[in-house]
Amino acid sequence: MAETKEKSLSDEKPKPRVRPIVRLGIFLISHSFLVSIVCCTAGVLALFLLPVLAKNTYISENALMPGSASPMLSNQHVSDGNRLVKDLTNPNSKSSETGIESHKIIAQYMLDLGAEVSFHKFHPQMNQFHPLHFFSSPVSGKIQENYSCSSYGINTVGIIRAPRGDGKEAIVLVTPYNALKSGFGEALSLGIAYSVFSLLTQVTWLAKDIIWLVADSQYGEYAAVAAWLREYQTPKFSSLSTPNAEMCPDVNNLFELKGHSISGSKFSNSFRRAGTMAAALVLKVRDQNEQFEDTISIYAEASNGQMPNLDLINVVNYLAVHRQGLRVNVEKLWPLLNSSWLKSLGEIFESLAKVAKSLYPKWKFGIPATEYVEGTATLASSLYYQALGVPTGPHGAFRDYQVDAITLEISPKFSLDKVWRNDILLRGGRLIEGVIRSVNNLLEKFHQSFFLYLLTSPSKFVSVGVYMIAFALLIAPLPMVAASLYVDANSSSNCSKGDSSTPSAITDTDEHGIAIRSWSPTTSFMIWVLLSILSLLTLNSVLASPLACAKATQEKEWALVKSVTISSVFIGLGLMSVINFATAEIGALLMVPMCLLARPLKLDVRAGTLRSFCRLICNLVLGHIAFPPAAFFLLKGMLDGFGNANVGDFWMWVESLWAWNSATYLFIGMVQLPCWVLCVSILFHTC
Amino acid sequence: MEKVKKKIGSFSFWNWVTASIIFRLILIYFPKNLNLSSRPEVSTPLTSFRRLAEGYWLKQSFMSPYAGSMYHGSPLLLSLLGPLTINRIEGQPNHLLYSLVSVIADVVSAMLIRATGQNLRLAYLRSLESLDLVKQIEVSEFLFSGDIAALIYLCNPFTIVACVGLSTSPIENMAVILCLYGACSRLIPLAAFGWVIATHLSLYSAILIIPVIFLLGCGPDSPPRKLFLQRHQQKEVLNQSKLPPRFSWGPVIHFAFWAFLWSVYVLVLCGISLKQFGGLWEMFKSTYGFILTVEDLSPNIGVLWYFFAEVFEFFRNFFLIVFHVNILFMILPLAIRLRHRPCYLAFVYVAICSMLKSYPSVGDSALYLGLLGWFVNELADMQFSLFLFCGYVGVSLLSPVMHNLWIWRGTGNANFYFATAMVYACLQIVLVVEGVSAMLNHDRKLRNLITGKPQDAKS
Repeated sequence: MAETKEKSLSDEKPKPRVRPIVRLGIFLISHSFLVSIVCCTAGVLALFLLPVLAKNTYISENALMPGSASPMLSNQHVSDGNRLVKDLTNPNSKSSETGIESHKIIAQYMLDLGAEVSFHKFHPQMNQFHPLHFFSSPVSGKIQENYSCSSYGINTVGIIRAPRGDGKEAIVLVTPYNALKSGFGEALSLGIAYSVFSLLTQVTWLAKDIIWLVADSQYGEYAAVAAWLREYQTPKFSSLSTPNAEMCPDVNNLFELKGHSISGSKFSNSFRRAGTMAAALVLKVRDQNEQFEDTISIYAEASNGQMPNLDLINVVNYLAVHRQGLRVNVEKLWPLLNSSWLKSLGEIFESLAKVAKSLYPKWKFGIPATEYVEGTATLASSLYYQALGVPTGPHGAFRDYQVDAITLEISPKFSLDKVWRNDILLRGGRLIEGVIRSVNNLLEKFHQSFFLYLLTSPSKFVSVGVYMIAFALLIAPLPMVAASLYVDANSSSNCSKGDSSTPSAITDTDEHGIAIRSWSPTTSFMIWVLLSILSLLTLNSVLASPLACAKATQEKEWALVKSVTISSVFIGLGLMSVINFATAEIGALLMVPMCLLARPLKLDVRAGTLRSFCRLICNLVLGHIAFPPAAFFLLKGMLDGFGNANVGDFWMWVESLWAWNSATYLFIGMVQLPCWVLCVSILFHTC
Repeated sequence: MEKVKKKIGSFSFWNWVTASIIFRLILIYFPKNLNLSSRPEVSTPLTSFRRLAEGYWLKQSFMSPYAGSMYHGSPLLLSLLGPLTINRIEGQPNHLLYSLVSVIADVVSAMLIRATGQNLRLAYLRSLESLDLVKQIEVSEFLFSGDIAALIYLCNPFTIVACVGLSTSPIENMAVILCLYGACSRLIPLAAFGWVIATHLSLYSAILIIPVIFLLGCGPDSPPRKLFLQRHQQKEVLNQSKLPPRFSWGPVIHFAFWAFLWSVYVLVLCGISLKQFGGLWEMFKSTYGFILTVEDLSPNIGVLWYFFAEVFEFFRNFFLIVFHVNILFMILPLAIRLRHRPCYLAFVYVAICSMLKSYPSVGDSALYLGLLGWFVNELADMQFSLFLFCGYVGVSLLSPVMHNLWIWRGTGNANFYFATAMVYACLQIVLVVEGVSAMLNHDRKLRNLITGKPQDAKS
C-alpha cells in the first residue's frame, strides 16, 4: 500500500524525500524475483556448507576438569559388579512371574553397600497431547482414573548421600532393566552401574548425592523414567484423591514379603528424594554387536529437538576417547554415506578450499571429502531426529525438567570369556566414574556451553549462530515477495481486499486429525484424506465467495491469496525455528520454493512460452512433493527403498508424533498442510 | 490492519458481538488449559487477579492490603471486586463471577466505543459538508467507523486474552473509554468521572486530560480550523454558523469543577477504606510510587524491566526520570499538532503510554487498537498496514514461545524474550508514527481539495 503510493508518486513527480530504510525496502521489493533466487540458492548452499563450517568442540566449563583425577575404580569393584551380573543371569532369579526377585536382588546389593533403597511403583501412563505446551508453562500430567492392578512397574532406586554435600544436588544414573526378559546386555549395564555405585559409597570427594535408578523397562524405558521423574518433581500432597499402586493387594503382599527378607533401616517403602539433578546418565549395553572394536554411542535428542548442554557430551567424548580408548559414535544416516553426489560435493568443497589456501595461506576451512560425507550423514541424522521431536531414549524425560541427560550405549565386541567381561566392566565403569566426578565438580548447573547446536561428529558441532544463517537466507525472500505481491495487487484494485482472509480460515479444518483407532493405519489414513477433502469443499462452498468482486479484480485475487499464504508461511516458519529448528529447516526446504513459485496453471498454459512451461512443470512437481504424506514417502523411499513404503506408514508416523507431543505434528497441521492447500488453490485458480 | 476488518461491515454487527461474547464464555469454561491468568503478557503486578485476591485476603484479615508488596491497585477495586475473588458457585469454574464482570466491562466498552465512533463520524461528515467536499470524497463509501472500532475491540485476541486472563485491564480500559465517551457526547460529569477513575486506576491516563479539554473546548475531531477560514474566504461569504466553534472555556471549567469533585470523592472513599492501614499516603506510595519507581522487575512485554535490571543502582533514579519525562516530552508537540483532532490525540497518547509504561500488558494494546478503529476512513491510506498486521501476529505468537524457551526449557535466556519485547515496542512506534503521518496527510489532502491543487502536491 505504502509502496504503491510511492510508486505512483515517482511516476509523476520528482522523487519525494523517502527515508533510506524505506528506500532500501522498496528496492528489495521491486527486485524480489532476483533477491529470492539469490537468497534461496544461498540458503540451500549454506545448508550443505554446514559440515565444513563445523567447529571442534571444547570444554567450556572450567569446573568440569575431566580426566584430571586418575580413576579409582579397581578390580575389586569390578568383581563386585561381576557378582551381581552372575546373580541376575542365574536362572533361579527368574522364577517369579513379575520379576520381583531380580529387583529384590538389586535392592539387597544396594543395601549391602549402605545406600538408601526404595521401590517406586508406577502405572504406565498414556501419553496426553498438550497442544499449547510451547506457549505456556508445562502442565503437570493429569492422573488417570482407571488404574488396574494387573499392570504396574517397579523402579528400584538407590541413593548415596554425599559425605561432603548438603543434599541439595544430585547426579542420576539410570539403567533400564526388564526383569522378565532381560538380555545379557542389560545385566552387564547393571554390573557396570553397580561397580561404579560400590566405588562411590566409599569415596570422600562426593559432593552431590548419587541416585541410581533401575528403571523397569517392561512398559518401555521412557515410560518408567518419566513416571519416576514425575513423582520426583511433582510431589503429591494428598494421597486420598487417587488410587495408586499401593492399593492393589498383590503388590502389597509382595512388599510385605520384601520387608521380611530385607532387614535394615535404610529400606523404605516411601518415595525417596535427593536434591535437584545436575545431570543424568542413562547407561545401556547392547547385546549384539557387529563392530570390531568397543564403541560407545551417544544419544542426546530429547523431545522437540532439545539437546542437553554440549559440555556433557564433550566430557563423555573426551573421557571415552582420551582416557578409556573407546570409539565414540553418534547416530548417522547410513544411506547417505554411500551416495556419490555427496562425495563429489565434498570433493568440490575440498578442491575449493585448496584453491583458497593457495591464494591465501591463512584460509583453512577445507575438510577431506570422506569426512565431509560422514559429517553430512551425521548432520542429516541430527536434523532428522531433532525434527521428529521424539526423544531418542529415556534421557528425553529429563530434559522436560531442565536436567541435562544423555544415553550412553556401549556396544562391546562380543565374546563370552571372563577377561573380556571384566575389561568392559572396568572401562565402562571408569568412564562413568570420570563423568560423575566431572559433574560432581560443577558449582552451577550446566550453562556455559551451547544448548542449540547440531552435531556433525562426536567432536564437531554447528552452533545456532551458524545454522540460523542458512535458515534465514532461505526464508528471507518470503516477506519481500509477500510485500511486492500485495503492492501489485493493491495498485490495480481495492475491491478484493477482504477476500484474502477467507481461504486461510477454511484450511484450518485440516488439522482435525480424526482419531480412528480401531481401523488399520491405511484405512484410517484414507478416511482422513476423504473427510478432510469433504469438509474443505463444504466449507469452501459455504464461506468462500470468489465472485464477491467484479470480474476484473479476480485476476489479482490469486496474488493476494499468495501474498497471504507467503506471509503466514513466514510467520509459521519463524515461530517453528524457535520451537524446533530442524523441523523449520526441513519445512522451509519443502515449502519455500513451492510458495514462491505458485502461480495459476491457467496463466502459464495461456502464456505458452518456455519459461512459463518450466514454471508449470516446477509447480506441478513441487505441488506433489510438498504434500506432507508425499514428502514422507519420498524421503522414506529414498532411505529405505520404495519397495516397503506403505500408505499406512504415514498414519503411524503421525500418530507417534501425536503421542510424543511433538511440535512437528502441530507444524504439519497448522502450517504446512494449510499452506499447501492454499498453494494448490492458487495453482487451480480460475482467472 | 483495518483492511481485514472491512468486510465485517457487511455482516450483522450484533451477530459478531454475540459471537465474541460466546467465545469468551467458552474460554472461561476452560481456564485450566490456557492458564492465562499467570501469563506475564496478561497479568502485570498492577493488573494481576491473583494479587487482587491476595490484597483482598490481607484486608479481610485486618492487615494493610499493600503489605508485602503484593497488591498495587486501588483500594476501591478491592471493595468492589474483592468479594468476587472468593465467591464460588458450586460446579462452576472458580472465578466465574469475576470473569463475567470482565466480559460485561468489555461489552460496555465496546458499546461506548460504538457510540463515540458514531458521534465522530457524524462530526466528520458535518465538517465535510460545511467544507463542500461531500462530492469529492465519496461519502457513500464511508464505513461505519463506530461499528468497526467496537468490533475490533471485541474481537481482538488481545482483548479476549485480557478478559479471560482475569486481569483488571478491561475495567481500566472501560474507565478510559467512559471518559472519552463523556467528553465526545458532552456529558461533562461522566467525562470527569471517567477521567478521575482512569487516573486513579492507572496513573498514565492522567495525560488524557489534554484531549478531553480540547474535546470539550472545540468539539470532536474535525479538519483544521484554518481550512474552514480558507474555504469561506474563497466563497467570500463569511458564514459564521458553518465555522467550527472557537475554543470555549465554559465546559472546561465545568469539567475541572466536576473532576475536582469526583477526585475528592474518590480520595475520601479510599481514605475511609484504608483508615487503619496507613491512610492515603500508603496508597499513593504503593500504587503511584510503585508505578513510577519500577520496583518489580519481573519480565513483561515492555522494555523497562530489562533495562532496570541491568542499570547500575546509582544511575537508577536518573534513568527513571528520563523514561518518565519521555512521555511528558511528547505531550506538548503532539497536542499542538493534533489539537483539531482530540480523539485522535487521545489514541496517540494511549498508544505512547502503553509503549512506555512501566508494566504494560496486552490489555493496553487492546485499548489503542480498538480506538484506532474510529479513524478507519481517515487512515485508509496508512503505510505499512500489512507489515504491522503481520508483525503484531508474529510477535504475539513468538513472545510466549520465547518465554517458554527461557523459563521452562532453559535453552534460551532473558535476551530471547527481551528481543520480542523490543520488536513489539518498535511495531508500536511504527504504528504511532505512520498513524500520525497518515492523519496529517489526510488533512493535507483535504486542504489540497479545497485550494484546488493536485492531490499529491506534497505528501
